Amino acid sequence: MSGPWVVALGDPAAAEVELVGGKGAGLHRLVALGARVPAGFVVTTAAFAAAVGAPEEIEAPLRALPEDAPVAAVEEAAAQARAALAQAIRTAADVPVLDAVRTAYRELATPATAREADGRTLRGGAGAMGEVEDVPVAVRSSAAAEDAADASYAGEHDSYLDVVGPDAVADAVVDCWASLYTARAVAYRRGRPAGAMAVVVQRMVAARAAGVFMTLNPANGDRATFVCEAVWGLGEPLVSGAVTPDRFVVNKISGEVVRREIAHKPTRLGRAGTEPVPDAERDLPCLTDDELAELLRIGRAVETAAGAPQDGEFAVDDDGVHLLQARPETVWSQRPRTVARGRTALEAVLATLTGGERDAD
Amino acid sequence: MPTDRFPSPFDIATPEGAEGWESMYDWYHLFGPERRELDEQRFWFADRLHHPDVLHPYDEIQCECWWQALGAFNTRIFAMPPAYGVDQRILNGRLYVTPVPAPQGDVAARAEEFGKRAGHYYERWDAIYAEWKEKVLARLAELRALRFDPLPDLEPESTVYEHVGTSAGFRMIRDFNHLVTSMYETYQWHFELLNIGYAAYLTFFGMCKSAFPDITDQTISRMVGGLDVELYRPDDELKRLAKEAQRLGVDLGADTPAAELFTKLRQDDAGAEWVADWERTSDPWFVVNTDPGHPGGYHVHPTWAEAPDVPLAAVREYVRRLDSGEAIDRPTDDVLRERDRIAGEYRELMAEADRPVFDETLELARKVFVYIEEHVLYIEHWMWAAFWSKSKELSRALAAMGELDEPEDMFFLRRYEVAEAIYDCVVGWSVGSRSRGADYWRPIVETRRRIYDALKAWEPEPALGPPPAEVNEPFTVMLWGITTSTVGEWLKADDEGGKVLRGTGGAPGVVEGPVRVVTHVGELGSVEPGDVLVCPATSPSWAPVFSRIAATVSDVGGIMSHTAIVCREYGMPAVVGTGNAVSTLRPGQRVRVDGGAGTVTLLDEV
Repeated sequence: MSGPWVVALGDPAAAEVELVGGKGAGLHRLVALGARVPAGFVVTTAAFAAAVGAPEEIEAPLRALPEDAPVAAVEEAAAQARAALAQAIRTAADVPVLDAVRTAYRELATPATAREADGRTLRGGAGAMGEVEDVPVAVRSSAAAEDAADASYAGEHDSYLDVVGPDAVADAVVDCWASLYTARAVAYRRGRPAGAMAVVVQRMVAARAAGVFMTLNPANGDRATFVCEAVWGLGEPLVSGAVTPDRFVVNKISGEVVRREIAHKPTRLGRAGTEPVPDAERDLPCLTDDELAELLRIGRAVETAAGAPQDGEFAVDDDGVHLLQARPETVWSQRPRTVARGRTALEAVLATLTGGERDAD
Repeated sequence: MPTDRFPSPFDIATPEGAEGWESMYDWYHLFGPERRELDEQRFWFADRLHHPDVLHPYDEIQCECWWQALGAFNTRIFAMPPAYGVDQRILNGRLYVTPVPAPQGDVAARAEEFGKRAGHYYERWDAIYAEWKEKVLARLAELRALRFDPLPDLEPESTVYEHVGTSAGFRMIRDFNHLVTSMYETYQWHFELLNIGYAAYLTFFGMCKSAFPDITDQTISRMVGGLDVELYRPDDELKRLAKEAQRLGVDLGADTPAAELFTKLRQDDAGAEWVADWERTSDPWFVVNTDPGHPGGYHVHPTWAEAPDVPLAAVREYVRRLDSGEAIDRPTDDVLRERDRIAGEYRELMAEADRPVFDETLELARKVFVYIEEHVLYIEHWMWAAFWSKSKELSRALAAMGELDEPEDMFFLRRYEVAEAIYDCVVGWSVGSRSRGADYWRPIVETRRRIYDALKAWEPEPALGPPPAEVNEPFTVMLWGITTSTVGEWLKADDEGGKVLRGTGGAPGVVEGPVRVVTHVGELGSVEPGDVLVCPATSPSWAPVFSRIAATVSDVGGIMSHTAIVCREYGMPAVVGTGNAVSTLRPGQRVRVDGGAGTVTLLDEV
């Protein structure tokens, strides 16, 4: 893949999945919709190609694996692939790609830069730098095959939170590249080629609360239902299933919160790691109704623009709700969902009265 | 799956003092040895929705009207594919019913006929309904024009000079027949449109539920309803009278009885203007029956017009709300806009292929829903109110002529016996001789009066016979609120020690409060703010009470029952179709009502 090594999330080039990966393109889509997305840039697949070289060589040990290879063998082959990848980068010594990453980080960390992605700023390697702050960023893998409508790849590649400083960011980018070849990622791909890996670098949101949402009910596929789960602090413990979140079920059309399950939340993940939640807040809902309404509005806008149900992650700080990612929902979207029994009202009435078979689902 | 069975109707004992109750009802309405084999195999449930109380012999006619008409339209006229009629039996003065399924093998053939026949009606619905209203209103006017006066010593001169050619006695016989026949005919019309209407509504309902498993019944009815239907008119008139009272500066007092208040108000111009307005409004808009549950089922419940303290309390409540700055009007335009917005958004969320059928079904559902709501005013309120009122007029005339002792004794006679009594009375009058009259009826009426009281003390079994494996007949579920699980709950009611009553969640929410049992409109005055209203069912004419109570628990009704609809409107929890809340819960007992789960939990013992 040829193209720029670094593109801002709002850059039109960031619409190309092959260049910026699934997550990157998804974020670009959100920016283009006007959603509040933390400012950031994508280290593209072109950068990956320039730094890593031909993936065929790296993947050779994996391709040699038989289909029913034991786990240990997969582990070993994956380790070999990672070593080959690191080797490839080492041979390229003063990697210009990583310099571009450092430069882009510096620009992102300049106080003059907008905190939200807006499509105008943050072109990699752009002009003179001002003073650079210690701005923490999230560095996330964005494989080209990730977040396609038929496979979510949720959590199969690495992400690094709270990375501070140009060199640390460059290192994290390399680590993300290498995570193409962790054993679990290899297992998940089941023989499909790894493809190229883009990496998203975004300002961290100082999250008071964070969580995930779905623009349909995952339990029954109801598309008029919006479901959101959230915890105090950063969302990672929720995404990884380590804690029980608050759960909100909202009717999309009335906006009514039809169900609220407030969990006991003794701890949260903050910048310094896991910390206790003040006693008084442990059993409180971590989202206000206004925040839920804002999240619903954003979620519906994304769904409408994409023309398909979405799931996504968000964080809330003093500025409001920030979208961290959104991607097509992959379970119910695959199922046939016609319900009409008959082509006319009369046929539908007859089907109701005769207990006629519903269309398959 | 229920494994036990309810008692056989043939094993139900006669309550003490009610021996001979069978003579109060027509023989064909009773369980009898000739069809024991059939009837013992059937699942019967107490129809507390339409007939929550003991039937007077004369009031049996109400059951007969729908027994035959519903049956004929389902079974013989429209060929409703899965369902024949609903069979009835009277046991210890209570009505038990059982839906009769169409033979499974006939369903396909019936569906083909139904498609043609109901299809004809669906296509011409609005025109047919317009004609329908005309014929009902014409018949209503006819009934109201009937006069049942004591027969005159000498016929008026007009009988001679206008060549009437009949006697007042004959006309009494004729007019009673006409009264009864008219009610029967009106019931044909009632079912002419009702069940095919329900079928269309249920179809839309089912489509929404399949596409959107989370959708609430309330949302579906909001997509369909919200029209300016005449059923809301009585309540709208109350609001208008409240505003008029405010405009005219008329003080309606706090609890002066209506008659006294009206006399007082007439003493000045503003008050007189308001009372005149009330009287004009009263007919027809306050001709609404106050039965708890299905209106018009019994002669004993007055209309608003007959019991003006009830609507007056509602007007006072509206005045109070106006005074505190509340808006009391139904925001019809907003409701309509919201209805279209909701429907539009759900439509957009449907699979594209489903949208045309969704549109068509919604349009049909909206069309039929107007009838489903409005027919209640035409038939259950206006026609039945007229029927009961004329029947009472006749009863008073018979008493005045010495055929009966008391003004309402006629209601202890079956309708065939009433025809006999009229003939006996008329022939005595005609011949100038003496009828057997009160001497003949007195012991019969006295016995039945005693039996009636004994039957009232009997707590009917919620159901009889073997429960079905599954209750899935759509009308039973929707109208009576009886489901597989409620039947199961009835069966195990005894095992739970009565700590939890289960019904259908009619309106969501959870509240706790003290029980207030109300079975007659006259008891509404005792309701305190925050009470949990426990009743056989509610009625639109009970409107004043809903702004005071915390929740409603009813014995009968499904998700589309009046109780459920109104409570959803008021945003208060309702559990409907509990079967036996009225007999189980005691006044003052604290309960928790969970309108989502459909449970009523007893919190303490009184």
